[in-house]
Amino acid sequence: MILESQLFQPFTDEPIAVTSESGEWIAPFELDLGPDELRRMYQDMLLGRAVDERMGRLQRQGKVSFAAPSGGHEGAQVGIAHAMRAGHDWLFPYYRDVTLPLAIGVPVVEFVAQAMGTAADPSRARQMPYHPSSKALNIFSAASPIASHIPPAAGCAISMKLRGTDQVTVCTFGDGSTSEGDWHAGVNFAGAQGAPIVFACQNNRYAISVGFEKQTGSDSIYTKAHAYGMPGYFVDGMDALASYYVMREAVQRARDGFGPALVELLVYRYGGHSTADDDSRYRPRAEVEAWRKRDPIARLRRFLTRKGLWDEAAEREAEAVVKAQVDDAIAQAQAAGDVALETMFEDVLAEVPERLVKQRSELLG
Amino acid sequence: MSTLEALVAAARPEAARVITFSQAVREALAEEMRRDERVFVIGEDVAEAGTPFKVLSGLVEEFGPGRVIDTPISEAGFTGLAVGAAMTGMRPVVDLMFGDFLTLVMDQLVNQAAKTHYMSGGKLRVPLVLRTTLGATRRSAAQHSQSLQAWVSHVPGLIVVTPSTPYDAKGLLKTAIRNDNPVVFFEDKMGYTDKGEVPEGDYAIPFGVADVKRPGEHVTLVATSSMVQVALKAADELARQGVSAEVVDPRTLFPLDKETLVASAKKTGHVIVIDEGYERYGVTAELAAVIADGAFYHLDAPVKRLGAMDVPVPFAPTLEDVTVPTPEVVVALTKRLLAGEA
Repeated sequence: MILESQLFQPFTDEPIAVTSESGEWIAPFELDLGPDELRRMYQDMLLGRAVDERMGRLQRQGKVSFAAPSGGHEGAQVGIAHAMRAGHDWLFPYYRDVTLPLAIGVPVVEFVAQAMGTAADPSRARQMPYHPSSKALNIFSAASPIASHIPPAAGCAISMKLRGTDQVTVCTFGDGSTSEGDWHAGVNFAGAQGAPIVFACQNNRYAISVGFEKQTGSDSIYTKAHAYGMPGYFVDGMDALASYYVMREAVQRARDGFGPALVELLVYRYGGHSTADDDSRYRPRAEVEAWRKRDPIARLRRFLTRKGLWDEAAEREAEAVVKAQVDDAIAQAQAAGDVALETMFEDVLAEVPERLVKQRSELLG
Repeated sequence: MSTLEALVAAARPEAARVITFSQAVREALAEEMRRDERVFVIGEDVAEAGTPFKVLSGLVEEFGPGRVIDTPISEAGFTGLAVGAAMTGMRPVVDLMFGDFLTLVMDQLVNQAAKTHYMSGGKLRVPLVLRTTLGATRRSAAQHSQSLQAWVSHVPGLIVVTPSTPYDAKGLLKTAIRNDNPVVFFEDKMGYTDKGEVPEGDYAIPFGVADVKRPGEHVTLVATSSMVQVALKAADELARQGVSAEVVDPRTLFPLDKETLVASAKKTGHVIVIDEGYERYGVTAELAAVIADGAFYHLDAPVKRLGAMDVPVPFAPTLEDVTVPTPEVVVALTKRLLAGEA
């Protein structure tokens, strides 16, 4: 169902943008975000990039075992985060989400401690780096097997509908996920049930090394929404504000009982799939450089500067603040030390079974 | 002499050189692809990327994207696709990046690949090889570190191969590709850089033939895949302490060489079975039962088992490292076993 009041039409041929590359406002409606909110979005992106870059560096130093480079995805992720009611709506993220959980409120120390597997990690050093979860903020633990979080996300949304809450589920994933059977099962059922969920695809055009044209005969992701009975929106994910506005509308639509939507945010990952990946084997450097010129952070900075909301001094100050935040978080995460061995035997089941009691006593003496 | 026996005889030790486990796998694949144009590779990131473990580097350059096929992320999809291709005359080698993804392909593997031959009254065959990984301690946590060889060993209609050395990997993979049945082939992801002598050119190792990796007198350590190196290290330490341990590698979990296992157990009278999967209802349970059944009256103590602890593999290195058997644990258990305390 298409609403009269909506700002955007689904199924456009061109990706939706609200700012130009040079930072001009180009949308046919008025900006309704205040200076503080706009600056906060920008600062969230700076923080996300700083955390991601530092984790990459720590990986090369052997202090973190794995990172999934997120650079280039910050605009889409900050838009998704700010469109949600943090701690009220549920998020089913994927492992390239860094700016997104941080912008929703995951403390930097928790993200860093999770990646380092120290005692400051709320998930008790059990998950891979870049897989943070938060009970307090309604964030599911990202899945390592691709797309296996899609049906649970749809189930979460159906639960919201059954319980009559006004919560919305937001489920993120990359283009690679859309080839999995689980993706189709989850999206189809959400459509059939009219579940309050927004599927947000961060399409960076590579499933590890496999380019988009090898993944699907279709030329887009958002058009698949049509077959599942929901609107599909095509967005320039390098435009943080376009990502925000389209996501806001899709989330509001779901909250108001009009069912799910699929949003395709066109982005690019500057780094490899992970720190174990050598992307020079399959991506020309010129392509990477061309996308770097479209950087979402630089674009929002140009927009803010044009509006008189940002300048060199603000940039220097923000960078210093972010660096201090990350330094501090790493120091705190390290200071927490290793998790205690005995914690490993808890949470397999609600109670520790007899076999594990025995294994624990054999290990600890 | 059968073709296979001739090939085994053709393996000339003087032509061997030292290469890594992953090079041995790649060499077996390349040689089979040159020999038989029906053989093709299919899976995620198998072409330009050569898999995340770089096992297949160079294959697409030689054989092209038509025979080294990059797939969308769709494990059940490409495994099912391989079933269809195998049934109609091809020899697909499926690359399943992480053993944990067996959970995703079980329907195609168990309900289709393993049963098609039987359900068609023996008319349709599914000669596919599914290569995948096992093993923890790579800091990849609960969904990327599992050793699920017991799951597929439970299923009639599947052959299960667990090579532990570069030599075994090359010889067994060739046999797997030439076999007319669906074969699940496990590679230890932490062992890809292990080196060993491997003959150049063609040779094959038959299924169902265990290998005594180290002869000994006092205790038998039956070890699979990743645990063979653990057992060998334990045997070195035990030797320093005056204990002679025999290390036996079944090499294939199905078919299983019961005779070699039982004969070793009869000789030493003490057995520990070691596998990286979970102990409960696991590979070690089956092997221990086979040994107890065949060597009961020759054993001086119960058959002991070592496997992963009953926890999802945790991320933190300090936690992860103690969840799987180590040489120290094997040595300690051996000494207790020989002292009549285990």
